[in-house]
Amino acid sequence: MISDFKYLKPGSVKEALEMLAEHQDDCKIICGGQSLLVIMRQGLISPEYLIDIKGLNDANYLTYDAKDGLKIGATCTHRTVEKSAQVLEKYPVLVEMERKLASIQVRNWGTVAGNLAHGDPAGDPAPVLIAMNGAVKLGSTKGERVVPLDQFYPDLFETAMDHDEIIVEVLVPPSPAKTATKYQKFNLLDSDMGLIGVAVSVTLNGGGVCKDARVVLGSAAPTVIRSSEAEKTLIGARLDDAVFEKAGEAAASECSPVSDIHASEEYRRHLVRVLTKRMAKAAWEQAKISG
Amino acid sequence: MEKRLITLNVNDQDYELYINPKTLLVEAIRDHIELTGTKRGCDTVSCGACTVMVDGMAVKGCSVLAVQAEGTKIVTAEGLETNGKLHPIQKAFLDEGAFQCGFCTSGMLMSAVAFLNETKNPTEKQIRDGIEGNICRCTGYNSIVRAIEAVAKGKYTEDKA
Amino acid sequence: MNKYTVINPHEPFRVLNTHVHNVDGWAKVTGRATYTFDVKLPGMLYGKILRSPHAHAIIKNIDYSKALEMPGVKAAVCGKLDTLGIKQGIWRRYKDLCDEQILPVDKVRYIGEPVAAVAAVTEEIAEKALELIEVDYEVLPGVFEPLDAIKKDAPQLHEGFERNINVTRHIEWGDADEGFEEADEDDGKGGKKGYIREDWFRCGGQAHMCMETRCAVSSYTPDNKLTIYHSNQGCYYMQGLMAGVLGMREGDIRVIGAYTGGGFGGKFELDGAIFCSAVLSKKCMKPVKIVYTREEDFIATKRRTPMFYYTRTAVTRDGTFLAREAKVFTNGGAYTGMGATALYLTGFFHSFPYEWKKGYRYDGYRVYTNTLPSTSMRGFGAPQAMWCSEQQIEWIAADLGLDPIEMRRKNSHKEGTILPGQATIASCGIDQCYDEITKWIKSKGKLPANRSIGISACGFMSGGIFNWFDSPYSFSSAVVTINQDGTVELHIGAHDIGQGSNTTMAIICAETLGVRVEDIKVHSGDTDHCPPDLGAWGSRQTLMTGNATKMAAENAKKQLLEFAYAQSGLNIVYDLDIKDRWVHAIARPERGEDFGQLVKKALRGKDGQKIIGRGYYTPHRKGMISPAYSYMLQGVEVEVDEETGKISLIDSMTAHDCGQPINHLGLIGQLEGAFSMAAGYGYLEYMPYEDGKLMNPNLVDYKMIRAPEMPPANIAEIDTYEPEGPYGAKEAGEGLTNPTAAAIGNALFHRFGIQMKECPVRPHMVVDALREKKEKDAEKK
Repeated sequence: MISDFKYLKPGSVKEALEMLAEHQDDCKIICGGQSLLVIMRQGLISPEYLIDIKGLNDANYLTYDAKDGLKIGATCTHRTVEKSAQVLEKYPVLVEMERKLASIQVRNWGTVAGNLAHGDPAGDPAPVLIAMNGAVKLGSTKGERVVPLDQFYPDLFETAMDHDEIIVEVLVPPSPAKTATKYQKFNLLDSDMGLIGVAVSVTLNGGGVCKDARVVLGSAAPTVIRSSEAEKTLIGARLDDAVFEKAGEAAASECSPVSDIHASEEYRRHLVRVLTKRMAKAAWEQAKISG
Repeated sequence: MEKRLITLNVNDQDYELYINPKTLLVEAIRDHIELTGTKRGCDTVSCGACTVMVDGMAVKGCSVLAVQAEGTKIVTAEGLETNGKLHPIQKAFLDEGAFQCGFCTSGMLMSAVAFLNETKNPTEKQIRDGIEGNICRCTGYNSIVRAIEAVAKGKYTEDKA
Repeated sequence: MNKYTVINPHEPFRVLNTHVHNVDGWAKVTGRATYTFDVKLPGMLYGKILRSPHAHAIIKNIDYSKALEMPGVKAAVCGKLDTLGIKQGIWRRYKDLCDEQILPVDKVRYIGEPVAAVAAVTEEIAEKALELIEVDYEVLPGVFEPLDAIKKDAPQLHEGFERNINVTRHIEWGDADEGFEEADEDDGKGGKKGYIREDWFRCGGQAHMCMETRCAVSSYTPDNKLTIYHSNQGCYYMQGLMAGVLGMREGDIRVIGAYTGGGFGGKFELDGAIFCSAVLSKKCMKPVKIVYTREEDFIATKRRTPMFYYTRTAVTRDGTFLAREAKVFTNGGAYTGMGATALYLTGFFHSFPYEWKKGYRYDGYRVYTNTLPSTSMRGFGAPQAMWCSEQQIEWIAADLGLDPIEMRRKNSHKEGTILPGQATIASCGIDQCYDEITKWIKSKGKLPANRSIGISACGFMSGGIFNWFDSPYSFSSAVVTINQDGTVELHIGAHDIGQGSNTTMAIICAETLGVRVEDIKVHSGDTDHCPPDLGAWGSRQTLMTGNATKMAAENAKKQLLEFAYAQSGLNIVYDLDIKDRWVHAIARPERGEDFGQLVKKALRGKDGQKIIGRGYYTPHRKGMISPAYSYMLQGVEVEVDEETGKISLIDSMTAHDCGQPINHLGLIGQLEGAFSMAAGYGYLEYMPYEDGKLMNPNLVDYKMIRAPEMPPANIAEIDTYEPEGPYGAKEAGEGLTNPTAAAIGNALFHRFGIQMKECPVRPHMVVDALREKKEKDAEKK
């Protein structure tokens, strides 16, 4: 059962930050609430105050420009990203990822920023955004700061946010030329959370050699992690099946997945190996033909 | 804990509610407004039985606070018919037998309507993805997909009242 | 996207097997249907149940005084203080199998078992009040697997059941040993005359996962009457069982189960919701509503029976089935319930759909364990039986280099097949099922490299014969009343849980009376107004309630026609019938009158009394199991990702013989729905327990097919004629839950040569099996 709380409805982001500064640990921000209400219902948290930013339309934006890339506002929903023609053109992997995220209903109401703030290592957006060198802009009454997403998760369900901060914007830089990012999660049902998820970004130079790569694993460790070992196998190499295999092996060795009722640690590592190999190859194939 | 006075517009009618802010939208609809067509089937935002339309979007009423839905237009299964004339999707469900026990049906209808409003000429795969968020234990989904397909193809025209 | 074809279609009927809307459709698609979940009575309180955290413990003391002090709490109950402590069970005829107190007095035997309950003005207060109930347990060691529970030193769950063996069943005909001996004889050329294969299997449990969780609203009033709204599969059972446990007369209890959100075999036993709400209501004289959360529904409502199967089969070299012997241990969980029936049926259907030339023998042992009691679930032991049988048969065919379809075909039942002491097969269309599946497989041509097809055959019962409930009433009854305007009231005890029985009975009634479905109003689900009926299980209603309905309608029709005959002046050689509301001479259909006109005359002729027809049905001398059997063959096209082991279902075809289809839309819905549940049993719906605790009691962790996973379900309907069934009809609700798991297993076998012994088959199991096979093959070389 959800515990009683005092409901606060700020009229602006500024007001929300002031409320947050006042109540700090005693409050939680709710926007889409698709994750928050579940854990409140399970009794895992019972905040004294709930600050509702769902109605802040000023924060509900999705913009792109060639210089700064993609900017996702605090209250922008998954569905907005999913249906954006611009995102489909510039960051198709984001649309692919969103199409398999939870359900349409959840995507209609839940937000990307909220998902990132929740910090579930099995979540879909984080690995993809990290693979694309994404970052979050955090706001508080003290000002703003930008934190790269691959530094945003210090521990299981923990973020680098202070108690008085919220994610005001999600930033995705413009993709360099000859870059592609691919993401896949392994699940039994189409839109389930993944037993593991792998996002790989590959950038090729003019000669077709891998110039840069990011290998990001979801649900394979207490937090979303990059596999630097896997990245090392890709960077500087002329990519082929043997290299992809090596990348898979490296990622499988570097991660620390749990054993639970859904899969053993061994099987999860096996999946990391297979999916890393596949995503690296898929990213490479798309990078080859991209501009 | 302070109750809040809010107005919810459900099926084109305003309802004034005085509720605990933690009241979920599905609770407001079922227990306060007493429209019990919308159901609940889980506690983990999984089953979709509580699906309603908010400003044309399908959402799960179990993961939306009622207070957040103030100012929106909410439609439930009871709001699909017009003066006793069935919505095309309802006719299609009848024709295809796209329900059995009927418990998931209200939520399924709302997902279907929202989907049809957004997607013209859907493929079968798109339809299946469109109702992915709704569990049906009885039908095996194919009759539901047939019903949605029939509406999408224009088999039913809305009766002019 | 499905293909639907009909093989040997019967003469078209007016109403039967036509495209009829579900009679409850309007209510269901407009949100008007009121389920128990929706019921609200004036002054109603909300109840919550306190559940045992221990798998096995003595209840030393329960003190709910502090809970009662909480503002808003109106009543609290527990077994010892507030109930008669009567042990009940659905197998009423056998007192020793009535082993369950819903609120136990002395002992708890599974995690999640109710121990106490409170009623309060809001659900939230009731839940908080549970925390104030103090229960003193003496924890006992628990045992969780049947093969552990039968060991000499295992903890005993119930008095008087040695080795925790709850029920045993023995089924035998012919002499199976003769068959094994024959197969084992030397052929004089260094080999054996026949072939014998033995395998062990493990079959998982499954959750019913009805969309409407268990719920009840009980209202006990000072005149010692009890009204209960309950989501169930048979109001008569609930009435009878509640009367038993409350020490009341059946007639003082009214059970109303109008719209029910699914049952699948899990809702015709007493549950915590109905019992605790009634006991609470009696204590405070107010209506009390209890609704299970989804988690409660997972942990505390009974599940499909997990089973350990040993099966040994002997065949001749050319594939004639000589003999089979099966030994099964089922994980019965803490109480008997309907698990006793599942034990019998699994052993019986493990022989289906084949004749065993020399003999068949089955020994089943249901074992108590400290886990959730297992009960009936759609298929009733047959999905487990086919998982083992149909896969082993496939492997035997492969071992002998025989065609698996033709080997099955030549051993299959036919019309007239006798299973000695058990059943006589009066209608059987399975031979044509083989034709249709063969056609379908051929039509698929060469499949992509990552796909393969597996098949499975089976048959199923159309209702059970054994009166374990010890009912003195006909198994089904019906009353047809004709109103002055020609509309018809049909009162039945059959329960519509979504399978469309209201519609099926309306169709039968309309067809028989010669009127339209729109003229029939069906009354069901209320013990005050409807005749007793054993309810919805074992796929009995189409045949049994259908027969009762047909008889009642024929009876009413006969009474009505008496007036038509009287006024007609027809020569004795002419007879009358009614079709499309037209009463006419069959030989001279143009001569007749409108049904409505005749009814008015008949009413006057009967002193203003409506014509009432009564019908009933109880199977007599039909063997041990069922009066009729459906047959089917299913093929499933399966895609497997070899590296990850992930299974996807691509296509399916089911050739199905249900005699005469009655409810066309209902039939398709049942076949498709059964497929989704059966497929889930094969590859998705795992229910892991650890020391008696269910580890995935929610819909995130319990995996079920959703729309994207469901493949096309093509259907070839094979029409036969079952003499025992109304218009020749047999079941179509459950049989289809039986073959799919085995078909999936057989698809894996065909592609990879792996033999999956455990279901559900999960991806890592496929990966492990592939690796093991690779290692074995490498060793051979």
